[in-house]
Amino acid sequence: MATVREKGYTHWDGKLGERRFPWWPITRTGILLAFRKKRFKFIFAGAFIPSIVFLVGLYISERLEDFKAIIQGSDRLLNIDPKYFATYLTGDWLFFLIVLVLAYGAGGLIADDLKHNSLQLYFSRPLGKKDYLIGKMSVIAFFVLILTALPGLLLVVFKLVFAGSFKFFLQYPWLPLSVLGFSALLTVFFAFYVLLLSALSKNSRYVFVLTFGTYIFSTVLYGILNGIFRTPYMALFSIPANLRQAGAFIFGQKLPFAFPAVWSFAVLAGICVLAAAVLNRKIRSVEVIK
Amino acid sequence: MTAVIAASNLSKWYGNVLGLNDVSLEIEEGITGLLGPNGAGKSTFMKLITGQMKPAIGSVTVRGRKAWNDPGVYQGIGFCPEQDVFYEDVTGWEFVTGLLRFYGYSRTEIRERAARALDVVDLTADKDRLIRGYSRGMRQRVKFAQAVAHDPDILILDEPLSGLDPLGKRKLIKLIKDFKRQGRTVLVSSHVLPEIEALTSRVVLIHQGKILAQGDIPFIRELIEAHPHQISVRSSDPRALAARFVGDKSIQKMTFGADGRTLVVETHKRDAFFSRLTGVVLEAGIAVEEISSPDDNLQAVFEYLVGK
Repeated sequence: MATVREKGYTHWDGKLGERRFPWWPITRTGILLAFRKKRFKFIFAGAFIPSIVFLVGLYISERLEDFKAIIQGSDRLLNIDPKYFATYLTGDWLFFLIVLVLAYGAGGLIADDLKHNSLQLYFSRPLGKKDYLIGKMSVIAFFVLILTALPGLLLVVFKLVFAGSFKFFLQYPWLPLSVLGFSALLTVFFAFYVLLLSALSKNSRYVFVLTFGTYIFSTVLYGILNGIFRTPYMALFSIPANLRQAGAFIFGQKLPFAFPAVWSFAVLAGICVLAAAVLNRKIRSVEVIK
Repeated sequence: MTAVIAASNLSKWYGNVLGLNDVSLEIEEGITGLLGPNGAGKSTFMKLITGQMKPAIGSVTVRGRKAWNDPGVYQGIGFCPEQDVFYEDVTGWEFVTGLLRFYGYSRTEIRERAARALDVVDLTADKDRLIRGYSRGMRQRVKFAQAVAHDPDILILDEPLSGLDPLGKRKLIKLIKDFKRQGRTVLVSSHVLPEIEALTSRVVLIHQGKILAQGDIPFIRELIEAHPHQISVRSSDPRALAARFVGDKSIQKMTFGADGRTLVVETHKRDAFFSRLTGVVLEAGIAVEEISSPDDNLQAVFEYLVGK
């Protein structure tokens, strides 16, 4: 005999798992949604071109005799020392590619949540504001570290592999720490910078323009003010200039601007503090008056 | 009965705009309807319960724990917001499983729960479609699915029936009532009175950020002394019936319906009127076809209280 079964909700008596990383679902979703954009995949892949170029340079530097015809006296550029690594990590093109990747892949991290009213779903779950922000920052950390720390450390490893000895490492044992340190600085700065801009709009395209706009405008402003006042301190207005100054300090290189690096650290820290204050205010501002 | 949700002197401002004004109330197990016009403060109250906002004054507790800034409280709450809350480029399955990840379940558990929740709302066949392609009713149902997927004790539903077709409404009402039968707490808001009436008789009437009344609908109706009860009697001879009651001092007013067969009586002493009506009908031999109380419903109660 047939039985008619009513659909109803069944109570579950299982045990909840421990939530060691409550922010992980936010990070996972952020990364997955970024890679769902077709153009982003190309941009992200393209962002590895500098690291490949530097890897090739590293290989050639160990085989100068084999490539003599190609490099034709440019071998001084292939002198592998901490400056080589600093050049990779503090290069304007790497910063530009990081900004491009983040603007396209992470610009919507908060903007999309504001647009889709998702904050109310997140915060009605066992998730605090801190977890939410850590989750979003981890998305940016993933992209930045994969473009900085990972290639930076791999370049060190490949240098040792191509040279076939640990001489280079013994000569500069602090180099991996510098790579990690500067990568961490870039991660923290870009996390706050991109999330700040992402929290200012509900439109991720607008955030994209804003991210690039402020980044480029800061350099243009530096150029204009430097032309007027003729003082290196005007570089403090430029985001890439401050990053270069901080990077040179961390890698123990000659500072590109004639002022103490602590000023650049202070400017970068100031932007992060400003971003933290804005995020703290904006993230709870889901209160819509109809 | 112990209060599941308790608000004490709860107030909330949006800048200069008052969202909630000195609200104190207790919500017990079962279904409670939160009723009020748009902008009355229903959503504000729900957001305060679900910890999305910090009260300006007062406090709100859920099972004795303060709702603000305690993510542990939200483990047992399912929230279905009024607005669409979707990333359009994810599937219904991804939407539900993604939100289940916040509860620390294993992968298998997440899949099982998502499948069950989507099955409950009849979205199994469409679970792999992008939400972008969902109809209004499907969006409403997938929102409900995410609210119940983690099997919460307390369900907060903000206008859950809006946009659903009659069949969809019926199904959702049944699901909500199933929740009640399992001893859980459901707080459901609506500005559509019949929707609340279909779910529960226990309501909280909210208007301009204030609680106007709380309790069972007939109980609240009894408390509104300013408005006498209306009783409509359709009979074969309404005028003869009216003649019998002309001298009755408890009757405030009598009018005849446009159909010529209905007598509408207004009285503060409803029970006394019904007692007398029985005797009169028998004595006079008047055939009564229907007796009803047109203002003994939520619509009337709400209109009396709000003054519209």
